[in-house]
Order: sequence, then C-alpha cells, then structure tokens
Amino acid sequence: MIGPSRVAELETTGAAIDTAEGRPAQSYWNESWQRLRTNPIGMIAGALILIFAVIAILAPVFSAVLTHFQPQSVDLSATFRPPGGAHLLGTDELGRDTLTRLIWGGRVTLGIAFLTVGMALTVGTAFGMAAGYYGGWIDDILMRLVDTVLAIPAIFLFILMSILIHPTPITLAAIIASVGWGSVARLVRGEVLSVKQRDFIMATRSIGARDFRLMFRHLLPNVLPVLIVAASLGVGQIILIEAALDFLGLGIQPPTPSWGNMLTNAESYFFHSVYLVYFPGVMIFVTVLASNVFGNAIRDAFDPRLKT
Amino acid sequence: MLAKYIARRFLASVVVVLGVTAITLALMKTTSGSYVPGIDLNPALRPDDIARLRADLGLDRPGWQWYATWIWGVLHGDFGHSMIDGSTVMSHIGDRLPNTIELTATAIVIGVLIAIPVGIIGALRHGTKTDHTMTVVSVAGFAVPQFWMGLILILVFSVTLEQHGLPWLPSSGAYSAVNGGDLIDRIEHLILPATVLSFFYISTWSRFIRSSMLEVLSQDYIRTARAKGMSERRVVYLHGLRNALIPLITLIGLELPGLVSGGLVVEVVFGWPGIGKLAFERALQYDYTTVMGVTFFATLLVIAGNLLADVLYGVLDPRIRYGS
Amino acid sequence: MSREEDADDRGFAQFERFLDAWSRRDFLKRAGGAAAFMAFSGGVVEFLQACAGSSNNNTTATVKKGGHIVEGNFTDIRTLNSMLSSDTASNQVIGLLFDGLTNQKKDGTVIPAVAESWKTSSDGLTYTFKLRSGMKWSDGQALTADDVKFTYALAYDPAYKDFASPRRGDLSKYIKSIDTPDPLTVVLTTTQVYAPFLASHGQYGILPKHILGSMDAKALNTADYNNNPTVSNGPFKFVSWQKGQQVTVGRNDSYYGGAPNLDQWIYKVLPDSVAVTNQLKTGEIDIGPIDPGQYDSLTGTQTVARSEFPVPTFTFYAYQLDPNKPAGPLFQDKAVRQALLFALDRNSMNQAIYFGHATAADSVEPPTSWAYKAKPQVLYPFNKAKAESMLDAAGWTKGTDGIRAKGGTKLKFTMITNAGNKQRESSLTYMQQAWHDIGVDATPSLIQFPQLVSQIVDIRTFDVFLVGFNWSVDPDEAALFHSRNTVPGGFNGFDFKNEQVDAILDQALGTLDQAKRKQLYGQFQDIMSDQVPAPILNFTHGIWGVNTRVQGTDFGPFNQYQFRPWLKNVWVTDGK
Repeated sequence: MIGPSRVAELETTGAAIDTAEGRPAQSYWNESWQRLRTNPIGMIAGALILIFAVIAILAPVFSAVLTHFQPQSVDLSATFRPPGGAHLLGTDELGRDTLTRLIWGGRVTLGIAFLTVGMALTVGTAFGMAAGYYGGWIDDILMRLVDTVLAIPAIFLFILMSILIHPTPITLAAIIASVGWGSVARLVRGEVLSVKQRDFIMATRSIGARDFRLMFRHLLPNVLPVLIVAASLGVGQIILIEAALDFLGLGIQPPTPSWGNMLTNAESYFFHSVYLVYFPGVMIFVTVLASNVFGNAIRDAFDPRLKT
Repeated sequence: MLAKYIARRFLASVVVVLGVTAITLALMKTTSGSYVPGIDLNPALRPDDIARLRADLGLDRPGWQWYATWIWGVLHGDFGHSMIDGSTVMSHIGDRLPNTIELTATAIVIGVLIAIPVGIIGALRHGTKTDHTMTVVSVAGFAVPQFWMGLILILVFSVTLEQHGLPWLPSSGAYSAVNGGDLIDRIEHLILPATVLSFFYISTWSRFIRSSMLEVLSQDYIRTARAKGMSERRVVYLHGLRNALIPLITLIGLELPGLVSGGLVVEVVFGWPGIGKLAFERALQYDYTTVMGVTFFATLLVIAGNLLADVLYGVLDPRIRYGS
Repeated sequence: MSREEDADDRGFAQFERFLDAWSRRDFLKRAGGAAAFMAFSGGVVEFLQACAGSSNNNTTATVKKGGHIVEGNFTDIRTLNSMLSSDTASNQVIGLLFDGLTNQKKDGTVIPAVAESWKTSSDGLTYTFKLRSGMKWSDGQALTADDVKFTYALAYDPAYKDFASPRRGDLSKYIKSIDTPDPLTVVLTTTQVYAPFLASHGQYGILPKHILGSMDAKALNTADYNNNPTVSNGPFKFVSWQKGQQVTVGRNDSYYGGAPNLDQWIYKVLPDSVAVTNQLKTGEIDIGPIDPGQYDSLTGTQTVARSEFPVPTFTFYAYQLDPNKPAGPLFQDKAVRQALLFALDRNSMNQAIYFGHATAADSVEPPTSWAYKAKPQVLYPFNKAKAESMLDAAGWTKGTDGIRAKGGTKLKFTMITNAGNKQRESSLTYMQQAWHDIGVDATPSLIQFPQLVSQIVDIRTFDVFLVGFNWSVDPDEAALFHSRNTVPGGFNGFDFKNEQVDAILDQALGTLDQAKRKQLYGQFQDIMSDQVPAPILNFTHGIWGVNTRVQGTDFGPFNQYQFRPWLKNVWVTDGK
C-alpha cells in the first residue's frame, strides 16, 4: 500500500520548467490551466473532490438541515431500516442514520487525507529543499535520515503507533504522514538539484540573494507543479491506507464514523443488509478514483510532452 | 567501485537495523504496561501468577537490558523463542516467509505479464478509445480498497458459487485442511489472494509503462532511429520498450520490501499464513521476541530491496555511476 | 537489414498481433457483466435464505467408522502442554489430545475420566483417586499414578518453580502433598478446604512422565513436546501443527475409552467470525462457533444445523471505585451506580446488539450455575424516569449544558473496552446515548486488548471499563469481587472492597456443603445487586454450527471447548 507514492516520484521527476526569470512564467501556469480546462474528465474529477470537501466541511449544517440526525444518535427501535423515508440511506445495526454518518465519515476520512498530505508535503519539502540546496554533508545527513524512514517496514510503524497513540483523526494523519514524508523529500530534492544547475540560480546567488529568499522565491515555485501532482495523487492513496488501517482495527475507532470503518463494519451484514455496504464503498471508490484521475490530469497539464 | 558502494551501504544499514529495532522495542515497552503476552482475562489466574509469568519472560527488566540481551542473542544467531507459543522465532519466520514469497511473487508475475502489454497498447494507441478504456479500468482497479475486493471475491467465487453447486474456490489458507498441499490444491488457494494483490500491481505498473513509453518515444534517439530508416516495430520494441522497462525494474525492486508488509491486508483477508499476518497478529499480542525478529528481517529486506533496485538500475542504465 | 533483424521483426509482429487482438476485446462489456453478476449474486443469496429451513441430526442411522472433521475457529492455539495453557483455543485442542483425572458433562457434573472413581475425606482435605487399570499412552507405555503426580508437581512442587505454569498460583497454595501408594491410586492432600478444587483442578490433561520427567523446569518451558506432543492419552494423538493454519490430530487406537470413530480431527484457524460462517456454508469446515450477528445468515443453509444454549459467560462494565483515581469520586455513591444501570434498556441491547442471542442479567451468578438466584434483592428494569430522579435526589443536577454536576464536578467520564469486539463496541455506543439521555456525558474509547488488560490488572487509571468474563462450573467469583484481588495483577481492578462480601466468599470456599454454599452465594448475589460495583449487562449464548453430515456432537453450557466427553462417539455419515 505504500508503494504508489514512489510511482509519482518516478513519473514526475524531470518535468522541469525552463523560463528566463528562474520562476515558472505566469504564462506557464496559464497554459497549464488552459490544458487542464480542456480535459473534461479531469475537471469533473476535480469538481467532485471539491464538492465532497465542501460537504465534509459543512457536515454540521447538513446534519441539522438535511438529515436531522447526529452521527452518534442511536435508536435501537429503528435498526437496519432500508433506504427511504426519514432515513434517506437507511440505518445501521444501531439505528444510526447512514446518510448522516456518511457525511460525518467523509469529514473524518477527507480530513485525514488532506491533513496527511499537508503534513507530508510540508516536512518532505523542507527536508528535500534543504538537502538539495545545501548539498554536501547536510544533504548526506538529511538523506540518510530519509533512507532510515523509508527502511522502516511501514506496517509495523502503523501498528505500533496506532497502539501507542490512540488513533484520532489528527494522530492518525500524523502516523501516516510520518511514513509518507520520506518519498516527498526525495522527490523534492531531485527536482531542486535539477533546477539548481541552471544559470539563473547561480546568477541570483552571485548577486548576494539570501538563502531563504532563493528557496522560497525561486526554488519553491519550480517544485510546486510536482508537489501539486503528488498531493492530488496522495489524497487517494491515503484514503485507501486509512481504510486498510480501519479494516485491521488500527484506524479510526467506532463510534466515530469514517468511510473505512463504516465499510468494515458493514462487512458482517453483507447477507443481512447489503445496502450498508454500498454507500461507504461507493464513496471511497469515487473519491479515490477522482483523486487519481485529477492527479493524472494535472500532470498531463503541467507536462504536455506526455500528451499530444 | 560497486563493491565499495555496496560496502558503504551495508555499514549504513547496520545503523538502520539497530535504529529500527530499538524504536520498535521502545514503542512496545512504553505501551504494554504490565501486560504478559498470551495472558487473557482468565479467572483461574492469580495475581502472583501474572507477576511470576512476567518475570519468567524477563519483562520486569528495563528495556535497555532486554535489548542488550536480544542483540547479544542475535549476534549469536539466536532470535529467541516466541512469547506466545514458545517455538523459536526462526522457525516461525521459516514457516511463513515461503508462503509470503509464493503469494507476492505470483502476484508480481501476474502483474508484469498483464501490465506490460496493457501499458504498451495504451502508449501506442494513446488518445484512442482503447487507451481511455484501459486507463479507466486500471485507475478504477486502483480505487477499490484491497480488503473490500477480497471480501467480495470470497462472497462471489467461494460462497455464492458453492451455493449454486458450481465449481468454487477456497476462501482461506494456503492449502486444504484435509489431504491438502499438492500443486493443484495450492494453486486453487492461491488464485483469489494473488488476483487481489496483482490488481494493485497491474493498475500501478500499466499506467507507469504507458507514460514512460510515451516519454521514451518522444526522445531524440528514437527520432534518430526512425530517421535512419529502422522499422517502426524495431523502434518501439527494441529501443522504446527496453528503455521504458528500466524504471519498471526499479519499481519492482521497490516492491521487495513490500514482501513483508505489502500483502498484509490480503493475507489477513484470506487467512494466508504469511509473514505480514504473523507480524500483525503478534504485534497485537505483544509477542516481543517474534515482533523484534520479524522487524529485523523486514528491515533487512527493505534495505536489500532498495540496494538491489539501485544496482539493477545501474546495470541497466550505464549513465548512472556510483559516486563515493 | 540482417537476417536476425528480420527474425526479430517477425517476432515483434506476432507480439503486436497478440496485443492487438487482446486490446480490441470489449473491456466495458466484460466489466459490465462482472458488475451485474456481483449485484445479482447478492440477490440470489437473499432469495436462497428465504426458501430454506434448518435440518436436524439423524439419530437412526448406523455409526460409520472413519472420516474426518474440520473444526474452524479464529484464534490460533498457543501451546499443547496442558500445564502451560491458559487460553480457550489451546485448551480446546488439548482436550482432543489429553484426558485429565476427571471430565464434565454439559450441565457441569464432574464425571470420571482417567480416574474411574474418587473419594473425599470427611475433613474435606484429602482426595483419593482410583485410576482405571490398563491405561496406555499412545506409544504403548502404561499410564500410572506417577504420571498424575508428575503433572501436578509441575505446578505445585518448588522444584519446578521455574516452569511457567499459569496454574502455580492456585495449586501451590492448596496442594500440600501428592502420594502414590500404588500405581493406580493417587492421594492428594490439600492445605485447606477449597470447594472448587475438584471441579477446577481435576481436569488438567495428564502429561507423560516417561517423556518429560528427565527435563528440568527451564527446559520444559521451551520443550519440543509443547508444540509436538508425540505421546498423549486422549481420544486422538498428535499429527501436525502448521502454525497459523491448522492442527491435525488422528485416531488414538490405544485410548482407554476405545478408539474414536473418526480418523482425523482438524482444528483450522480462520481470519474472523464472518469467515467461520462463510466456510460453514461452503462446507470447508464442519463445526464452528457462530457470532450472534451471523446467526441469521445461516438460516438458508440446509447443510448446517445450529445449536444454541446459555453459557457461564457474562458481559459487564465496572465503575472506578478507587477514590484516589480521577473518576473515583463520581461513583462512590451507590445511588449513582444504580441510577446509571436503571437508565440502560438491557433487553433492547440484547435484541439489537446480540440479535436476541443473549439473556438479560439480574444476578452476578450465571443462570447455568447451581447457585444462581433468579431474583436477587434489587432488580434493574429499564426505568429512565427513576434513573433521573435518583440522580436528582443524589444531588447531581443538570447544568445549562444539560450535563449533570454536583459541587462543580461534572458527571463526565470515559468508557473503555477492547477494539475489534463488535458487541462490546456497540454496547458502549448505546450506553453513551442512553446516559446522554439522562444528562451524563460518557465517551466510548476503544483500546487494544493488551492495553485493556493492563488497565484492569495494573495501571487502573480508567473511569469505566467493559469486558466479558468466562466462568467455570464452580460459582466462586472471588477472582473478580474479593478485595484481596485488588492488588496489582488481580482482576478486581475497579477496587471493590466490601468486608461482608469478602467474608461470604471466603466462607463459601471453605466448605464442601453445597446447600450451605448455595445459601451463601444467594446472600452474595443480594449484596451485589444492591452495591452494583460492576453491573452485569447480560449472559451470552453459545451458538455452534455443525454440518449435518456430522453425528454425535452434543454441545452444551459446559461442553463447548475443552470438555467434550462425547468426542470419541462423533462420526460422519459419508465416512469421509
């Protein structure tokens, strides 16, 4: 489950952007945006993620206005209601409203995904930029650290840390990010190394620009396209990792809903109430699909050589 | 040069192994409280039983002491006995590792056999309906949680087919409980888990081959080859495919560490007696010795996998040099 | 172009044709077909369930010899040494391989096994066991009183103090000496009268002294025999144990009760309770325990007969009673403990969470026990209004946020149980809601089982925990409720200290007079129903699925795992 981030790494390195100012020209972003806009499937995928994210943020509102149930409200007299009526998508084994839990579960699942991506990208970029920019012994030390992180069998870390740190959405995001940042650091370092070679950086350096200014004004914008692609693909992967951890009992613990633990929970009732299985399954599938399609679309947009 | 490079990496890996095992032990020690591995809430147990069993296992000693003893044992090739069932950790690993390799290797082979043609077709016909269809299928295959796909396959190909009196596939284990273990029997048990695991590889790798083929085909030397009048097929298969496969080999190399953890979910769903399932179950039961032993080997495998990928990459692509 | 290049080209051309043909297949059509089939199969299963009933065991057919049984469960065993084992799964397989001095019927009555009879001295201190004559180990050696003495010595003799037996605590406390006046007589003297002795300690599988007698205590802990018991005395003998997969045992022709009908019995380890149900359906396993949530999914399967009965297992939650712990002060007042229990609709819980396969509890003794008192002093039918008025009267009044508080302290706490046990998870989820309804803020928190055990026996910083407890035949519950077990390592982790209860429990352990004991345990149940330090939510049911080809099984409250005196009579109708 941990492999795919490396795919992103291998696939996207070398998508360098050459511009005179040492930053991607405005026109580069514009062109990429134009290319993305002409990709309807990619746009639909992006829109879907946006819609899900908005629903997740507004979960309390939906709960109050649309479903009139709270995710934790148990009603033992209304268990296993099929979809329809007061419960639009039915109820589960404790009489909880499936739609409400789906919305709140999306809040948890997507929240973890975005948070994890944010953390992994921040830490990974910082490490990668520092290593790539300074080189020498700093590079050596930082990259050995990255090697160590990548050498820890991720699943053990997940298991042990899930036991150590009681898994809440935030700690779970931190746990997954603690493994994921390594490959981001490698990715960024590679990109920085290739950008650094170019004349403008040397020129800026020789006129005495400060390190931080250089990194943020000149290097970061060049690395940004790669990061955006990695982030978009990462959301889908993390949803899958989180669902797998839920399945193993190491993820979000009931009664807090997440799509992963709703799906795992529904497994026992497959023959009993199969509809319990459909909704969280479909949500995971659609979101991961959208994330991957959107990620691919952005990559194609940034690097038109791959698409003619 | 290569030998020196490998030696340097080897030294670094000793540090990594020490670090990873120390972290593992520290995590277990700090979270276990006074839990005695293998002890349930059994009313027949008395307070002094629990204290005594804990001392028997050496768990009343400080973590660093325990670690030192463990390292000492490892240096002598002794990984100790499992705290749950008393058999040696090495025998556990020896039992489970072949099963995991059997499963993962099968899935990787299926993955490569399907991913390469799918990727090539996608690249050659890129932009066509075929390409789009295959893209959708492979991206969709990647979007299904593995555990979910496994459970559905069990319900369809095992339970439902059996109930209809049709030929069906066994749903758990590596061989039949009764008179199992011959080749056909093992293959039958392998089909479902290997299918689920290979789906992941097919989805990832076919996308990957497609894009690296596309990239290679747009390179200058391909154009030169074409200009020299080389047939299109030769260009595609001899030059294009070869260069596109180099990164794929790296990718497969990167899956080696996944031998231990990559198949974990599949192993759990199908009750496959592999090393990942062993590690998972024993970590939950605080079987210190087994977890430490498996962590040790898993870390070695990760390091070896990365190293192998790097070396292979160098062999296949002479432009890469191993700097000192 | 050279010849080789030509050949290459032809090869490539073939490959391309293959790719071409392959890629032109209609992917979408196939994918659509697969999806339709999956959707359809779900429907078919539901349909099949609707039109079938369960079938009964055939009792008239003549017994067939031979064949095998595959029994499924979702935990691997840990050891095959009867004096090392403390878990249900290991005991279950040990029960196939080894017989102890005694065995028990499904109602809990102790019956002869290796001992054909026994006498208890008038002072209640000495047990004299008369062994069957002519018993043999599976390797042909004679089984004698020496083997019995050796087995018990492992757990009480100081010479074996390094042997990691979980039985040492009890046995070394109560056994004074074991004598073997002749090869068929064992005289066991106890240090004090201990009522549960025969029922609790008479049934450990006897170990062969001629195999293990020469080893020292430390070597025995990791002896090969523990995983590979080459010699045994039960209905079956050991064949193989593929860890994480299965244990296979085969017919023991030298079994003193006569060779069993079956050739083989296989204990198979499955991923989870859903897999047990699935494989009962497919016939991959013949016998397996059924999760309450899976009961209905077997209704349509004609090849599986289900049996259900109450078992001596209860689910309970315990209040933190140690006043020095953060939540301790909340539960010191008996009224709070009682009110919280009144607020739980335990009948609905059983219906929804256990799908009706559990019995609501009124007493701390299980209904399967001879000491069970159906109606103890205080009963707790669901009564929300009463719960609220009790809390009001006790001074816990609702604040503006709807949460009750007293003297600035809110009635707010966390409830823990182990992750992965669905019924317990659901129970906490329901309790959160039910208590929220009366103004109590209780938050469920799921932790891993080792952490839960640590919390109960050692760390003890919990507010409320919920677990299940599995009792044996004897009604003694001192392990949970006696104040001496509040020490570290004891299961009375909720710090319940009641002198009266201690006295009753001690008195009941110190007499062999069952009538007297019954009366004492009656008092115990009355006091506990009033004090409710750890309210019992329900008594669970044992549910077993058995393939209809299997005959002669007779599961019951005390014949589930380890004790199955009918093992040798089990046979399969198809002889396979």
